[in-house]
Amino acid sequence: MSIKEALDLTFSPDAVKALSEMLDEPGWMLDLRLTAWRFFEEIPWPTGKEETWRRTSLRGFKLENYKPFATEVLTEVTQEASLATVYQDHLAELGSAGELVMDGGQALYHHLRDDLAEKGVIFTDLHTAVREYPELVQRTFAQMVPMDANKFAALHYAFWRGGTFLYVPRNVSVDLPLQTIARLSQEGAAGFYHTIIVTEESATVTLMEDYFGGVNGMHNGVVEIFPGPNSQVRYVHVQEFDGTLWNFGTHRIRTQRDAEVVHLMASWGSRVSKVWINLDLAEPGGRGQLLGLYFTTDRQHVDHHTMQNHIAPNCSSDLLYKGALKDHSRSVYQGYIKVWPGAQKTDAYQANRNLILDGSARADSIPGLEIEADDVRCTHGATAGQIPEEYIFYLESRGLDRSQAERLVVSGFFQEVLERVENADVQRKLESTIAERLGVELADLGFGE
Amino acid sequence: MTSTLEIRDLHAGIEGKEILKGVNLTIRQGEIHALMGPNGSGKSTLAYVIMGHPGYEVYSGDILLDGESILEMEPDERARAGLFLAFQYPVAIPGVTVANFLRQAVSAVRGYTAQREEGAPIGSNLMPMREFRKELTEAMKMLGIDPSFARRYLNEGFSGGEKKRAEILQLALLKPKFAVLDETDSGLDIDAVRAVAEGVNRLVGPDLGVLIITHYQRILNYIEPHYVHVFYDGRVVLSGGPELAQELEAKGYDWIREKFAEKVTA
Repeated sequence: MSIKEALDLTFSPDAVKALSEMLDEPGWMLDLRLTAWRFFEEIPWPTGKEETWRRTSLRGFKLENYKPFATEVLTEVTQEASLATVYQDHLAELGSAGELVMDGGQALYHHLRDDLAEKGVIFTDLHTAVREYPELVQRTFAQMVPMDANKFAALHYAFWRGGTFLYVPRNVSVDLPLQTIARLSQEGAAGFYHTIIVTEESATVTLMEDYFGGVNGMHNGVVEIFPGPNSQVRYVHVQEFDGTLWNFGTHRIRTQRDAEVVHLMASWGSRVSKVWINLDLAEPGGRGQLLGLYFTTDRQHVDHHTMQNHIAPNCSSDLLYKGALKDHSRSVYQGYIKVWPGAQKTDAYQANRNLILDGSARADSIPGLEIEADDVRCTHGATAGQIPEEYIFYLESRGLDRSQAERLVVSGFFQEVLERVENADVQRKLESTIAERLGVELADLGFGE
Repeated sequence: MTSTLEIRDLHAGIEGKEILKGVNLTIRQGEIHALMGPNGSGKSTLAYVIMGHPGYEVYSGDILLDGESILEMEPDERARAGLFLAFQYPVAIPGVTVANFLRQAVSAVRGYTAQREEGAPIGSNLMPMREFRKELTEAMKMLGIDPSFARRYLNEGFSGGEKKRAEILQLALLKPKFAVLDETDSGLDIDAVRAVAEGVNRLVGPDLGVLIITHYQRILNYIEPHYVHVFYDGRVVLSGGPELAQELEAKGYDWIREKFAEKVTA
């Protein structure tokens, strides 16, 4: 296929075939893509009457405005130093044991520390994984988030391109975080990153993913996390897309016996973002934390829809989403805790806290509970309030202007979520993304250590 | 040049209710003034009005810093001009560490913040970390404050004494021309009062003018004022030297009420 032909492509089965051919994929993957396309065509567009779409409108979103994939051909480099400085700067913010850099779904660089590779850890882009570890990919890909999970998931599976594949074998503990950079640099092109994390029994890993770019673009990602028995997964998803981008995401985690997972979603960017996050506590002893941060400005609209699904007994889930809103921006938090019959000794918590910095911003919280077991502890709560004027006066009396005072209070408001990450390196990197978003420096980085 | 803070026939209040009824007071850099008065006399209102609390209205009169009115200035502008208020009840700011807050405040007051150019890297508007850290460590040492204090969240879970020491630490770093200490001794046991007073004593000198607002005389056992003013029903009714504080301690405020109540209501 020539570049000229690719430029003319719109979302269609022909585009699916062209993409698969360009990626030189095995037949089973093309079949999967075409099946997904059929699901996409069968599932109707949301009308706005569905519960999940009542507060987030797709008005202004037109699929035909985007190219189905980036057409620029990029080449992978072998040295971090050969990357553009934008990537090097991002990578430098976090000391990591492995790095994966992608643009428009194409891998530009990947690295994993030798000792981890020798222990059998796999950390690479998903296309490489499809070629080199087909059995592992087939065991996991689309197994957690089904192709028909929603219309956007179906579209994702038809056009997925790039993403992280992370596999940690039994008893292997990855001491430092791994990090992924997922950029969309080609204006107007759609991105479909796909992340898979698999930990075998008693393995431990932290992955931090940083998404940015996407001028006049769209992104529609999927994240599938498989924490094995007694393993620990910490996943941090930092969304810093351009303010013109439409973002959609479907994340799903299913814990096995005694597994522990922390999932943090930092939604800083995009024009509109709609993300579903689903935690299934499928076997006894599982523990999950769902954490969220957002700071919306201008006319930004950020929507998180979560599900804490307690299927097995003796599991706990704890959700904390905190956001601050300025200007005419809006946030929607919709969260559901479901405790199935027999899921006794469940502990499930859910809190959504919002700071409204301007009278014209708005935060909607819609919590829900459905409990079918009798020996459970469940609480949920939502708040939306303003910064007390006494805080502002106190900070102003120390020389900070109103905007600086507000931003400092907001950074402190987010701190409660950061503390839950329990990893100093990741906290620091998150703090720097907060600092960038708020335009303040968090000055005590490393102070007193 | 010695700076002067002059309060001239100040009338102010809240929601139309006059609380300050013609305050006159002049403080020069290097001087320590004590303003003593019974509860409800309007002492804290005066502190807030000097700092520019938006909840209070000034009806007439003026506050002049080196001859220039500050009434139109926002609280942060007053802070940058060299005024400081040690709060009676400092607020706790969750999640914001003492060090982080102080670096922002020091940078703002010393003009680093204003220098930042558009598009400059984040943090370039702040006092360099190394310099700041050195200064903070020295100030904490001077005031006998444990280094771990820097990493705690501002005033969150602080004891009464810790809150007041945090205020004095801010005073030490912000180096204002004039500091108003609003009931800095209230709610503290005698050891805490002594510790805070010792901190203040280390900071006083020719570059700092202090207005100590207090109900009790006891903090003045540790900080010797040059002038003592008695505040009653929204104005200064009596001024004198340190001996006036002792007289108030011995006789209480009743004689003040008897002597000035009629005049005020007349």
